[in-house]
Amino acid sequence: PYQIALKKPDISEKFKVGEELYNKGKFDKANKLFAQIVPEYRGKPQAEKLMFLYSNTFYEMKDYYLASYQFERFVSAYPNSGKVEEAFFLSAKAAYMLSPIFSKDQIETRDAIEKLQTFINLYPNSEFTPEANELVRELDYKLETKAFEIAKQYNTIAEYTADYNASITAFDNFILDFPGSPYREEAYFYKLDSAYKLAINSVETKKQDRLEDVKIHYSNYKKSYKEESKYLKEAEKMLEHIIKELEKYSTKS
Amino acid sequence: QDTNAQNGKKYTVGGIDVIGETSFSKQTIVTYSGLRVGEEVIIPGDKISNAIKKLWNSNLFNNIEIYINRIEDNVVFLEIRLDDLPELNEVKINGVKKSKVEKLITENTLNKGVKVTENLITTTKNYLISKYKKEGFYNTKVNINTIEVQDTIQTSKSVMNMVVNIDKGKKVKVKEIHFSGNTVIPDSKLKKAMKNTKQKSITHVLKRSKFIETDFKADLKSIVDKYKENGYRDARVLSDSVVVIDSKNVSVYINLEVGELYSFGKISFIGNTVYSDDVLRRILRIYPGETYNGTLLSKRIADNENPDASDITNLYQNNGYLFSTINPVEISAEGNIIDLEIRISEGKPVYFTNVTVVGNDVTNDHVIYRELHTRPGQLYNKSNVIRTIRELSQLGFFDAAQIATNFNNPNPNEGTIDLEYVVVETGSSQIELQGGYGGGGFIGTLGLSFNNFSLRNLFNIKEYKPVPRGDGQQLSLRLQASQFYQTYSFSFSEPWLGGEKPVQFSTSVSHTKQFLYDAQTGKADRDKAFTITGLSVGLAKRLNEPDNFFTLSQAISYQHYNLKDYNTGLFTFGDGYSNNLAYTIGISRNSTYNDPVYPVGGSSFSASAKVTLPYSLFNNVDYYALKHDREDLQAIVDDPNYSNSQRVTAAEGIAEIDQERFKWLEFYKIQFKAEWFAEIVKKFVLKPSVEFGFLGAYNQNRGDIPFERFFLGGDGLGSYSLDGRETISLRGYPNQSIQPLDENGYATSDGGTIYNKFSLELRYPITLKAQAKIYVLGFVEGGISYNAFNDYNPYDLKRSAGAGLRVFMPAFGLLGIDLGYGFDALPGQTQPNGWETHFIIGQQF
Repeated sequence: PYQIALKKPDISEKFKVGEELYNKGKFDKANKLFAQIVPEYRGKPQAEKLMFLYSNTFYEMKDYYLASYQFERFVSAYPNSGKVEEAFFLSAKAAYMLSPIFSKDQIETRDAIEKLQTFINLYPNSEFTPEANELVRELDYKLETKAFEIAKQYNTIAEYTADYNASITAFDNFILDFPGSPYREEAYFYKLDSAYKLAINSVETKKQDRLEDVKIHYSNYKKSYKEESKYLKEAEKMLEHIIKELEKYSTKS
Repeated sequence: QDTNAQNGKKYTVGGIDVIGETSFSKQTIVTYSGLRVGEEVIIPGDKISNAIKKLWNSNLFNNIEIYINRIEDNVVFLEIRLDDLPELNEVKINGVKKSKVEKLITENTLNKGVKVTENLITTTKNYLISKYKKEGFYNTKVNINTIEVQDTIQTSKSVMNMVVNIDKGKKVKVKEIHFSGNTVIPDSKLKKAMKNTKQKSITHVLKRSKFIETDFKADLKSIVDKYKENGYRDARVLSDSVVVIDSKNVSVYINLEVGELYSFGKISFIGNTVYSDDVLRRILRIYPGETYNGTLLSKRIADNENPDASDITNLYQNNGYLFSTINPVEISAEGNIIDLEIRISEGKPVYFTNVTVVGNDVTNDHVIYRELHTRPGQLYNKSNVIRTIRELSQLGFFDAAQIATNFNNPNPNEGTIDLEYVVVETGSSQIELQGGYGGGGFIGTLGLSFNNFSLRNLFNIKEYKPVPRGDGQQLSLRLQASQFYQTYSFSFSEPWLGGEKPVQFSTSVSHTKQFLYDAQTGKADRDKAFTITGLSVGLAKRLNEPDNFFTLSQAISYQHYNLKDYNTGLFTFGDGYSNNLAYTIGISRNSTYNDPVYPVGGSSFSASAKVTLPYSLFNNVDYYALKHDREDLQAIVDDPNYSNSQRVTAAEGIAEIDQERFKWLEFYKIQFKAEWFAEIVKKFVLKPSVEFGFLGAYNQNRGDIPFERFFLGGDGLGSYSLDGRETISLRGYPNQSIQPLDENGYATSDGGTIYNKFSLELRYPITLKAQAKIYVLGFVEGGISYNAFNDYNPYDLKRSAGAGLRVFMPAFGLLGIDLGYGFDALPGQTQPNGWETHFIIGQQF
C-alpha cells in the first residue's frame, strides 16, 4: 500500500497509510508520505495532528536537527494544542541530542540548555520536567568538562609555552564559573601544580615571592580536598620542596 | 447591506462567506484569516483588522475587504471579499543574450507562479538598471510590461505574462577628463590617481576605460586625497559634471579648489606615561617644516592597511594597551604651519580572562588550544592575535579566509577582556581513486589521505562521519597495482606526540613488488620479481632556537630489497638481497605565509643528511682486494677473446662480489633545498628556489650504491619505485630523463649521485576562494645531474621555460598542468628537447 499511496494523488489516502506506517514504527516511510501532503493540509483542521506526527518521524529517524525545528514550528503554530507540552519537550530534547562531545564547539549544547530551561520554566509540573532537569544537568557537566580539560591542557603544555600563568588563570575562571563542580578539587590541585612549577622554574629575582605564592595555593587546595584524594601525597611533596627552597632565603637574610 | 457598527459591540460569528476571484477554497481562506465560526468578536475591533492583515501578509490576495453581511440578534454573518493576486506565467526578456536570461530570472526570482505585485516590478527594474550601470552601461533603460493572459481552462486563476525590455545601450567610455582649478599637481598625475575612471587610451590594456558612476565618485575622493598628501589639506572638488558626447562616450569635468600649502609645525605628545616623547617621535618620523601630509600622519598613528605596521597604535596595542586611543589635534594653523598635539589616552594594560574557540564542529579543542599564542592571564598583544590566526589557518583544518576574532566583555577599569576565535571547518581529506591504461597494462590506484584523523576513535563506530576525525593526525593509505607491480603503503603521523610539546611522530610501512616483463608472452613474469619492504619511524620537533620557525627531524628507516631471478641492467646480480638501514637527520625552517597553497611571502629551506653505519670499518672485508678482483673479472667479461663459458663464470664472480658489496648498503646522502616567496607587484608572487643533493660512499673501494639516487626531469612526481630514489622535477624534459653520461659518453639509466637545480617561478592568483584556489605561473629553470664529483659542473644546466596552471580544490587536492620547453638536448642526444607537457596530480605545491 505504501508504494501505491506514494504515487497516488489522493492526499487523504496518503495520510491514512502514513499513519498506519507510523503506528507500525516505519517512520521513514511515514515521513516520506507526510512530506508530500504537508503543503496540501496547510490551514486545514487535520494539519495539527499531521504536523505532530510529521515532526515525530524526524525525531524517530534520529534527524534531530529537523525534529527540533519541526516541533518548534508546531509549538508556535498550535499554541493551544493538547500536544504542545510534549512537542515543546521533544523540540528541546532533540536539541539535546545534537549536542556533540565536550571537546568540540558547544553551540548546540548551549542552545539545548536554553530550550530545556525554557521548558522547565514554562511547565514546572510537567511529567517531562524531571527528565528535562536531568538533561540540563548532563549538559552543564559537559560544559564543565570542556572548561576543565582546556585549563588542564594549559598545564600540560606549560613547559613548552613557558606560560604557567595560563593554567592558573584558566582554573581561576573555571572555579568561578562552576562553583559546584565535581572537578573542583582537581582544579585546585592543577592550580597548585602550575604555581609550583612556575616557582621552581622562576628567575631568581621573582623566585621567593612565587614560592610564597605556592603556599597559598597549597592551603586553597587543602580546603577543597576530599578524603583519600590521590593528589594529596603529591601536593604534600610539593609543599615540602617549597619549604626547603624557602629556607635558603631565610638563612640568607 | 453595509451595516456600520460604531459602538464596538460584541457579536458571535454565525457564518463567514467568501466572495471574489480566488482559486482557494472558502475553508482555507477562513482558516488563514484566523476568524472562526462560533467565536466572539467585537466590531469594530482588533480581530477583524488582524484578519485583514493576516490575509495581506500571505502575499496571495488583492483587494481584501471584510463586510458584515447581516446581523441577527447578537449573531453576525461576515463576508470576506478578495481576489487572488495574478500569478506570473511567462517572462520574456529582450535585449540580452539568451544565455544570460536564465540567470537574470533567478537573480530576480521571476519564477512561474510568483505573485505579480507593483513591488516586484519596481525592484526588478531598479535591479537591472543598477546592474548594467555597474558594468559600464551608463545609458541602460529598462521597461517592464505585464499582459493579462486569458486562460480559458483555469478561469479561476488570474495569470500574467511579463515582458522585460532591456536597452543596455553602448558601453560608455570616458573620452576626456578635464580639470579646472588644478594649479599644482599635473593633470596626468591626477588622472593616474583616479584608479577606476580612466581616459580612453590605447595604452590602457589592463584597465580599460569605463564610466561607472559609483567608481567615479570614489575617484573624486582619490583626487582630493592626492592633494592632501601633498600639503593641500583644504583641497576639495567644487563641482563635477558628466557630459554625454554620444551614445558611447562621455567627458567628465572636474572643478577643483586647491587651497593653500601647509606644513607641519611643532608636534607635541600629551598623556603618554608609558613611552617617552622620544620613543613616540621615532615612530612618528614626521618633523617640523615638512610638507603637511594628513594621510601619512594618520598612517603613522594607525595604519589600517597593514596590521604589522610600525605605528603608534601598534606600539600600544602590542603591549597590552587595548583601550588606548590616540588622537592628533591641530592646535594652531597660523601662517599655514600646523602645530599638532597628539593626545594619548593610554588606559590600563589589558589581560585576557577567557580565551575561547567556537566553530570547531570537527576538530577537538586540544588540537586548537595548543596552537594559541594568546592564553588566559596574558597581556593583550595584537601581534600575538594575528600570529595565532595565521597559524590556525596553516593547520589546514579551517578556512583561512574565515577565521575571525571577537573581543567580548571588555572591562577598561579592571583591564580585562575575553577573546573568542571563530573558525569554520573545511574538508581536509583527500580520496584518490584512479584507473588507467599505462605501462602496458591497467593501473589501478586507491589513495586515501586524512589530514585531521583521530586514531583513538578508530574503534569507535559512532565517530565514523565518514572517518574518525578531529585529532589533527594524518593517515594515508595507498594501494596501486598493475600487471607489473603492486605497491602498498601506509603512513601515520601525530603532530604532538604525548601532548606536551610539538614533537611530530610519524611512521610508515610499505611493500612493493615488481615483476619482470616476459618478452615471449608480452606479460609480466610472476616468477621474476623484485620486492622491497620498508619501515620507517621518525620524530620531528619544532625548535625555539634560533627562532621558532625551525624544525629538527630525525628518522630511522629500514628497507629490505629482494631480487628473485630479476636480471636487468640495473644490478649485476639477479638473485640476491640488500638491506638499507639508515638514519636521517634534517633541519628545516619554514616561514611562509599565509595560505599553504599559495604563499605570498616568507621562505622555506631544508637541509638533510641520511647516513648508514660505516660497516666497512669493522666488518673485516677487504674491499680493496674485492675492487681489484672485480676489475679483473670485468676485463674478462669485456674481452671477446675469452670463451663464452669463461665470461659467464666471470660475470657470476662479479655478481658475487656485488652481492657482498651491497649486502648492507653503505652511504651518506646530503640534500639541501631553499625557496623564497615574495609579492613583487600587486598579487604577483615570485618564487626563486635552489636545490642540491649529493650521494657518497665512505669507502671508495666499496663504491657508490645503486639505490638512493637522484632522478632529474619531468613532473617530479614520486614514481612507484621504492628504491629510495629522489625524483626531482625539471619541467621541459621527460620524467627522469636527465641522466649522467658514462665514461663512453652514453646516457645511463640508474640516476645520478650529484645534482643541482635552480628555478624561478612567477605566480598570479586567479581566485583564492576556499572552494577552489586557482593560479597561473610562468617559470624558468635548469638542473643537471652527474655520477662523480670530479665531472661536476653546476652551471652546465639543462635549461627550460614554460607556463602552467594550478587548481586546488579541497576534495581533489592539487591538480595542475605545465607546458615547458627544454632548450638543451637530452643526454646522448643532439637536438634541443622541445615542448613537454606535465600533469601534476596531488603533489602539494
